[in-house]
Amino acid sequence: MNKSKLKNYMMNLTPLFGLAALFAAFLILGTIRDINISYGLKSIINQSVVVAVVATGAVFIYTLGSFDISLGASAAVSALIGGMVYNRTESVFVMAAVCVGIAVLIGLFNSVLASVFNLPVFVTTIAMLSVLNALVLVLIKVNGTGSEIAIPAAAVKAINNTPFKIAVLLLFLLLSIFIFSFTKIGRMQKFQGSNPVCAKLSGVSEKKMAIIAFAMSGIGVGLGAFLSIIYAPTLTKNTASSVGMDVIIAIVFGGMPVSGGARSKIYAAVIGAFSMTLLSQIMVMFNLNSGIGQMVKAAIFLLVVFLATSDQRGKMLPR
Amino acid sequence: MKKFWALLLTAAMTVSMLTGCGGSSQPAQADTAGNEAGSDSTGQTDTGDNAAQDIAADLDMSKTVKIGILVSDATTAEALAFRTYYTEYIQKQYNVEMIYSDELTDAAGETSAIDTFITNNCKAIISFSSFDRAAQIEQCEGAGVYYAVATGTLTDEEYETYKGYEHYVGAIGPSLDVEFETGYNMAKHYLDQGTTNFAIFGGAIPYYTEMHIYRAAGMITAMVEAGGDGASYQGAAVKDAIIGQIFADGEVKTGAIGNVNILGYVGGYDMDDAWFGKCAQMAQTTDLEVILAVGNGSDFFGTAIAGTDVKIASVDAYASSYGEAMEAGMLDYLAGKFSASIGPIFIATYRAALGAPIRTADGNALALSQGYWIAENVEDFGAYYAVDSSVESPAYTKDLLDTLLTADYATFENFVGKYSFAEIQNM
Repeated sequence: MNKSKLKNYMMNLTPLFGLAALFAAFLILGTIRDINISYGLKSIINQSVVVAVVATGAVFIYTLGSFDISLGASAAVSALIGGMVYNRTESVFVMAAVCVGIAVLIGLFNSVLASVFNLPVFVTTIAMLSVLNALVLVLIKVNGTGSEIAIPAAAVKAINNTPFKIAVLLLFLLLSIFIFSFTKIGRMQKFQGSNPVCAKLSGVSEKKMAIIAFAMSGIGVGLGAFLSIIYAPTLTKNTASSVGMDVIIAIVFGGMPVSGGARSKIYAAVIGAFSMTLLSQIMVMFNLNSGIGQMVKAAIFLLVVFLATSDQRGKMLPR
Repeated sequence: MKKFWALLLTAAMTVSMLTGCGGSSQPAQADTAGNEAGSDSTGQTDTGDNAAQDIAADLDMSKTVKIGILVSDATTAEALAFRTYYTEYIQKQYNVEMIYSDELTDAAGETSAIDTFITNNCKAIISFSSFDRAAQIEQCEGAGVYYAVATGTLTDEEYETYKGYEHYVGAIGPSLDVEFETGYNMAKHYLDQGTTNFAIFGGAIPYYTEMHIYRAAGMITAMVEAGGDGASYQGAAVKDAIIGQIFADGEVKTGAIGNVNILGYVGGYDMDDAWFGKCAQMAQTTDLEVILAVGNGSDFFGTAIAGTDVKIASVDAYASSYGEAMEAGMLDYLAGKFSASIGPIFIATYRAALGAPIRTADGNALALSQGYWIAENVEDFGAYYAVDSSVESPAYTKDLLDTLLTADYATFENFVGKYSFAEIQNM
């Protein structure tokens, strides 16, 4: 391996090193400050897994160089409908299926708007964000309480544990890795994201790629909605409200190029989600108020983007 | 090579930022340690109270107790006043470290914040957030962490379920009956002056928030009583029926209640242009005399009533902005929580964390009610605010709170029950 390739290799691994460094800092600082590390690790998984799952699916959209701002609202709608269905059927399996089904439908609707009607994805997802947020309020009102939709905590107690959540994340991650890295679909997605004109001239269907990307994202959103219900079975208008922004931050934090394309990484979402949570936990150890904590996170976020793009600036074809 | 230096620089900056964060916490720790050392001497020299010395001897307060604080509101006057009392007074008087959550927006956030507190070895949690109280109590009980509700109460059903939990300390705050009385007294204050034309700001009634529904029901009950023979609200003439009617409608209906009129109503906190437009429209209703708000009224209607004779009555807290609103004629009556009202629940939580929990005679968790300080003019407000905003000598000082450290339940209950400004000043 020559020097240049080694550097590129190391740069690609920077997010992973960052995660390892944060993990080491958590362990060292946690030991010094005598925190409950084993509980903390469980807590980190609980707090990361929803964003990790949703962001893993969203990588398919980002790979195309697109951007979906409505993922959090989509997760909220899916979770609320899932909760309502549970309260009628008392079946956790049906609830999970409904969560995934609704999220995929929303994703497909987005993709139809974007690809069939040739509307910019960013614009369609902004419109969908408004529609879905309104739908959240309608669903809560229709359900009768006016402020929440709740399912009994006992209904999901058996699966509200770390192994189950990790299993869901791993299964979806493996499926995504398989499609992204070991099938033609993944290669075409990267090609489409790298150079849409070349991809089109080579016979890659833009519409098909968009539909697949939004469908995969929908599965991630649906699973995230299901995991949200397991974690907190009382759903309100703010359920998953931060997921949309967290997904964007996690994906970039994990080393995913914001422009998508050939350098897209499916594992970026998981690395980013866990890095963010570790960083938050470290902030809490120092009892930082949320304002300062947010500023520190923002500064680190900018540094990560700077690093991730440092070897691309000045090149003729940044993708 | 440039990239190597970029990487090195980034790593250095990251480390320095994190180290900087650590640095910022040191003064707090030093303060805490200082307080720890000082609390003994302060207790002995400043107060000269032998009881305080006995208390210090009975309870081992030598170790810093970490207490997590769950907040769903970090910006309103009320929230800031509570936070100031805990961080600028309590934390400096007792050997405790208060760790605040971010501004929580849902039940999942509460669960995550509690997980984080437990990870950081918090021995107790005081909650100002109520998206899912039941889940919070269950989570804390499961983890062996004490849990208390500040400025609120559980429903009767919830209390029956959780009152026996070992780690549920209890709740101290306005009960629903107190909320009803607060609304009733506010409306009666104006009805006694001959006012007959009202508008109501319903706050979180559309979200079925009980305290706001009970305050509105209190207002309407007073109107029904003043409305003359046969007066009723949508056919309801007594407390329970009026509460049920508001729950059924999810809003307050406008119309005549005998001789009294509800000319306008706005609910919710949409905070968009359309909502502010509705607020302005309601404030400018012809013949309107008083706007009764179940929450903060002056911020939403104050500007719209400028130059008119319309008065505003609010329920909130003692903040400087409300004093300014009163002086400017934008607020006429305030039923306000006082920031030190969260002192007793702190003591109950602290005692539990120190191994001396306070329980009812039946061994159950606390369920004590507190009310508001009522300011009917600028002078009242000025007197209350001076005490409430003080971080040197707030309403409940360390000397007063220390008496609760070893108090029995009856003494504790009696202390909390005397919440009026005059009663506290005479303690």
